[in-house]
Amino acid sequence: MPLLAACGSGESGGGGEGRSTEEDLKSILPTYRQSDTAIDPDIPSENGSSPGYTTFIPTAELGVSVPTPKGNGGTFTAMTPLWGTPPRAGNEYWTAMDEAIGVKMNWQTQDGNTYGEKLGAVLAGNDIPDLVCVPSWELGGQIPQAISSRFADLGEYLSGDKVLDYPNLAAIPTAAWQASVFGGALRGLPMPGAPIGGVIPYYRQDVFEENGWSPPTDPQEFIDFAKDVTSAKNRVWACEDMKWSSFVIHGVLPEKPNYFAMVDGKLVNRYETDAFLEALEWTRKLYDAGVVHPDAVAVQGDSKNRFTAGESLMFNDGDGTWHNLVAEQQAANSDFRMNAFDFFGADGDPVLWRANGANIWTFVNKTLSPDRIREALEIANFCAAPYGTIEQRMRGYGVEDVHYTIENGVQVRTPLGEEQVAPETYVFICSPGSFVAYPDTPQMVEDLTNWQKRMLPFAQEPLFFGRQVQEPDRFANLADRFEALEDDVVRGNQSISDMQDAVAEWRRNGGDQLRDWYQELLDSEASA
Amino acid sequence: MSQSTVPRSPKREGGGGPASPPPKHRKPGALRAGGPRRDGPPRARGGTEAWRHRLRRDYPLILMTLPVIGLLVVFAYIPIAGNVIAFQFFSPYAGDGFFQSMANSAWVGFEHFQTMVNDRYFWDAVENTLVFSMLQLLFYFPVPIALALLINSILHNKVRAWAQAVLYLPHFFSWVLVITVFQQIFGGAGLIAQVMRDNGWGDGFDLMTDPGFFKWLITFQVIWKDAGWGIIVFLAALSMVNQELYESAAVDGANRWRRIWHITLPALRPVIALLLVLQVGNMLTVGMEQFLIQRTAVGVGASEVLDTYVWDRGIANHQFSYAAAVGIVKGIFSLVLVLAANRVAHAMGEQGVYKKQ
Repeated sequence: MPLLAACGSGESGGGGEGRSTEEDLKSILPTYRQSDTAIDPDIPSENGSSPGYTTFIPTAELGVSVPTPKGNGGTFTAMTPLWGTPPRAGNEYWTAMDEAIGVKMNWQTQDGNTYGEKLGAVLAGNDIPDLVCVPSWELGGQIPQAISSRFADLGEYLSGDKVLDYPNLAAIPTAAWQASVFGGALRGLPMPGAPIGGVIPYYRQDVFEENGWSPPTDPQEFIDFAKDVTSAKNRVWACEDMKWSSFVIHGVLPEKPNYFAMVDGKLVNRYETDAFLEALEWTRKLYDAGVVHPDAVAVQGDSKNRFTAGESLMFNDGDGTWHNLVAEQQAANSDFRMNAFDFFGADGDPVLWRANGANIWTFVNKTLSPDRIREALEIANFCAAPYGTIEQRMRGYGVEDVHYTIENGVQVRTPLGEEQVAPETYVFICSPGSFVAYPDTPQMVEDLTNWQKRMLPFAQEPLFFGRQVQEPDRFANLADRFEALEDDVVRGNQSISDMQDAVAEWRRNGGDQLRDWYQELLDSEASA
Repeated sequence: MSQSTVPRSPKREGGGGPASPPPKHRKPGALRAGGPRRDGPPRARGGTEAWRHRLRRDYPLILMTLPVIGLLVVFAYIPIAGNVIAFQFFSPYAGDGFFQSMANSAWVGFEHFQTMVNDRYFWDAVENTLVFSMLQLLFYFPVPIALALLINSILHNKVRAWAQAVLYLPHFFSWVLVITVFQQIFGGAGLIAQVMRDNGWGDGFDLMTDPGFFKWLITFQVIWKDAGWGIIVFLAALSMVNQELYESAAVDGANRWRRIWHITLPALRPVIALLLVLQVGNMLTVGMEQFLIQRTAVGVGASEVLDTYVWDRGIANHQFSYAAAVGIVKGIFSLVLVLAANRVAHAMGEQGVYKKQ
């Protein structure tokens, strides 16, 4: 295996350490072939922004990418996260999807907010589901080892031209496949994402315009503005927890494996940067000023509910939240409008770190027979149908007249659709390249794609961009303590110097070795 | 519940008959299902005979305990063997299945125990656990007893049933719900804070995010949630008290307080002693979900207890071996605590969780 042999010092755990070289990837990655059914977007992609679709395509004009069910009627267990209330098993939506694919899915959904706890226990056990979704933010601890030792190498079915048997998988951008190579083999079925948009700072556009406010444009202005608009007596607070936005504003490096930068010829980890401490300090000031909603301080309730209720005016979340909130509020509160404000930098222009091509994957249990694996790939192929196909409409909206109806030329979810289709599941098995298509909320499509276009010029690739890096076992638990400590620091329960102590401890306990290990990785690639 | 919890009734004191002499040739390891009961067969001579007799007498009880014993064997005793991973650097991914993984994992001796002793977060967790337990012992434990006396003194049946229902109800709420209710009342955007702001009595009232107040907050939460449920066993004990005693005491001129002191409390004594022993034995298990939910709000330093520490290291961060090591230490200390508390109970003349030979 052409991985980093020099550093593998006999550790236990499956899979090769290091990362696949660009040369290896040539033989691993699937061929890209654009979908026949692809249609031109209303808002074309610019500079990597997601293509946007605002016009509704009548059902009769939709393309077909999977003409007949390709499954053999096999039964698959699948574990995925689910945000919201899980629909009952055997509901009309899941049944219709199963029939269209030709399989029987047994969903074992788990609460998305605590998914990692379940994941670690399930993967450590003997009874691993056939399909398991793993989001990148749950790749801590020994999960990477679990992925390389428990899940199938799909290269044999997908590498090179083999992928052409699954046309929708062949149309997935190469960047997404590249981020799906774990431990030297193509293991993940990707859910491709936009290069930016993991954290978006939202604000209540309707409230802002009503009061003649414009969003703040630098860190100090944000704090002053937040103090001005907070009125606890009227149950209005400026914001929710803005820690994630603060990381972007201060240009803090992203998570593993993109957490190293080269500064003056030396690798520096995100935890060692001044930006990291400054970001915490700024967030702490917000907490200190009493502009963060108290329920957010106590981590109770749902930030989205407080935002739509007008109790908090700004919050941050991923780009997936945007459409859900706008669509949900269309009926409930027609005045509701939200938008994203531009990230500003701590001094001048912001730095947004580009995300890898995919950050959520589904893996296939390696104990499945080759025929079963091919059948699982048919499920993925169906789920990855691009926008403008019958399959995509069904995956996103369910069955016409059952889960959605067509009113005034756009599809509208029925209550049954809200209950069964809105809590997404199939999307995690695999999805097409990122796009934004919501004919029911065309303004939101424009707002999101515009935000991407405004922000993308500030996007940079981190040093280890694009590929997975498999670290040795001994580093698995180095950074465990940081997230809780961050939350303690911003709430004033620990100090910045406690964080500095923790960083010093991190260095002593293996952080410096980790740095050396990454440096060796770079050196060995340079000399190869 | 073992029969040792049943309060001694006056009837038994009088009429048990002469205790049988101890059998001379007791078979080693013979089943003593009768336990502390002394009113055995008057003519039991040989050990086998006594054993048979007891079996005939007690077999329904034994049958009833079998499922529980089965569950304990499968879910408590067999898994104990898994503790060997505490002495390894165990990776579940080192092989296929638990045993192969175990065989492939490196042995590290007492390294994890050493790490534990040197980890200040571990000692924080121990301290919090003990402090929370002591507070619960002092402030939570007496509440159900007082409530039981109160409920017992209500003579009106409907009022009594209603009061009991109201007191039981919070027990059936999940911790998420209980803490949400607390947040709605005592949080920074809660009822009290808003009323204070509306009346200009000050800003910033928030009991839910104050690390210093946390130990009182969680004690209060436990009382609200579980004190009502805790009265059940005391009410059962109270129902065994011979009502004639109260009548004769009243005839002798004892007032309400003296009747409680001389009749009710002595009747509750064995139950109180038993529960106290159990509570002390459980000192290191102070709760889990309650602390997990409020962990970020007050910080890890204020809220970490041993069980959340084990959860964090073992489940959240997959350090299975380390978590197992902490679990072993916790188990050993809990056993020591039970034995010590039981000894104290015996010294006080109570039966405790098991009868002294």
